[in-house]
Amino acid sequence: MNFEVAGSKIYYSIHTGIPILGDFNITETLVVSWIVMAIITLLCIFLTRNLQVENISKRQAVAEMIVEAAHNLVRSNTGGTKFDWLIPLVSAIFATSIVSNLICLVGLRSPTADLSTEAAWAIVVFVIITACKIKAGGFLGYLKGFTTPIAVMTPFNILSELATPVSMACRHFGNILSGIVIDGLIYAALAIASSALFGLIPGAVGDVLSQIPILSVGLPAILGVYFDWFTGCMQAFIFSMLTIMYIANAAEG
Amino acid sequence: MGTQDLVTLVPWTFIAQICNLFIQMWLIKKFLFKPIKEVIEKRRQLTENEIKGAREAKEKAESMKKEYETSLSSAQAEAADIVAKAQKEAQGKADNIVKEAEQQAKGLMERAEADIEQSKKKAINEAKDTIGGLAMDIAGKVVEKEINENDHKKLIDEFINNVGEAS
Repeated sequence: MNFEVAGSKIYYSIHTGIPILGDFNITETLVVSWIVMAIITLLCIFLTRNLQVENISKRQAVAEMIVEAAHNLVRSNTGGTKFDWLIPLVSAIFATSIVSNLICLVGLRSPTADLSTEAAWAIVVFVIITACKIKAGGFLGYLKGFTTPIAVMTPFNILSELATPVSMACRHFGNILSGIVIDGLIYAALAIASSALFGLIPGAVGDVLSQIPILSVGLPAILGVYFDWFTGCMQAFIFSMLTIMYIANAAEG
Repeated sequence: MGTQDLVTLVPWTFIAQICNLFIQMWLIKKFLFKPIKEVIEKRRQLTENEIKGAREAKEKAESMKKEYETSLSSAQAEAADIVAKAQKEAQGKADNIVKEAEQQAKGLMERAEADIEQSKKKAINEAKDTIGGLAMDIAGKVVEKEINENDHKKLIDEFINNVGEAS
């Protein structure tokens, strides 16, 4: 039996003829991303429907709690209200990441199982980090920062600077992809085990039962709690935290 | 329908995801943060206004209480004053009435005494005259002799006076 994990499907390809960028592919990643965005936006609209000043509904309480939590997360990690402009970005990254990670539970392919997604987020964060550093110390100060503590360190400093977005993107991507791979492996292994076990039953009954992966029921769901739920939530949180931390550090100089 | 590589960076997807992130950011800002912030701000203002109103009401109540207390104490003092004055006046009036009554009684008694005295005198005088005439008649009859009427009168008067003193 063969087992393979494929990349995201390409539904439609628009020929652009631009040299480096290539054709524009409508992939599963993009389609599910749009679904994710729709889910988040509809959830936001649903939560903020019929807002009251007094006597609030449970729905409004949840919405207010989410907003408060976002503010508290950013403010407590940056110390003050200086980074309030970061809140929507961090919230967007967190929400998109967590919904993308968990959408694999309904059978869709997570957009976060495509490196392009995390790379896009990481680049945005990287640009903001760089902008903050330049703003804090000036352009020359930013360049000078690479030569500290001694000039010999410059290549390493540049490397470590570039490693930030790469590590952020790859950490997230790797965790989600590994979840998919492990889930796939377990399913395949259990199917094989199932067919081998029920193949022992003689006659037609054994032939029929061995075709149904009965053992696949149950165990993957339990493992999914860790590989899908826990990892999904954890990675979203880690990515958001790192975004806050890196940007706050950069702005301090 | 093909599939892309498992680990790959597709430029267009990359760009599209950057756009998606910013669109998502804007959507969250517009549909979640803005309305919630507005409602929280409104609530904050409402609470502030209410606290302010309560504080003002409390201050007002306290000033009113002070006012009432001062007015009450002054009213009490006034009442006490009025009562004292009334008592004094009543006492004075009562004293006057008693005095007047005493005077009146005294006057009445004096007049009555005077009347009695006069009546007594009158009665005595009448009795004196009657007794004098009687005595003279009796004496004239007893002695049967002509006496000087003047001497007799003197004698009788003396006798009556002696009788009056003795009685």
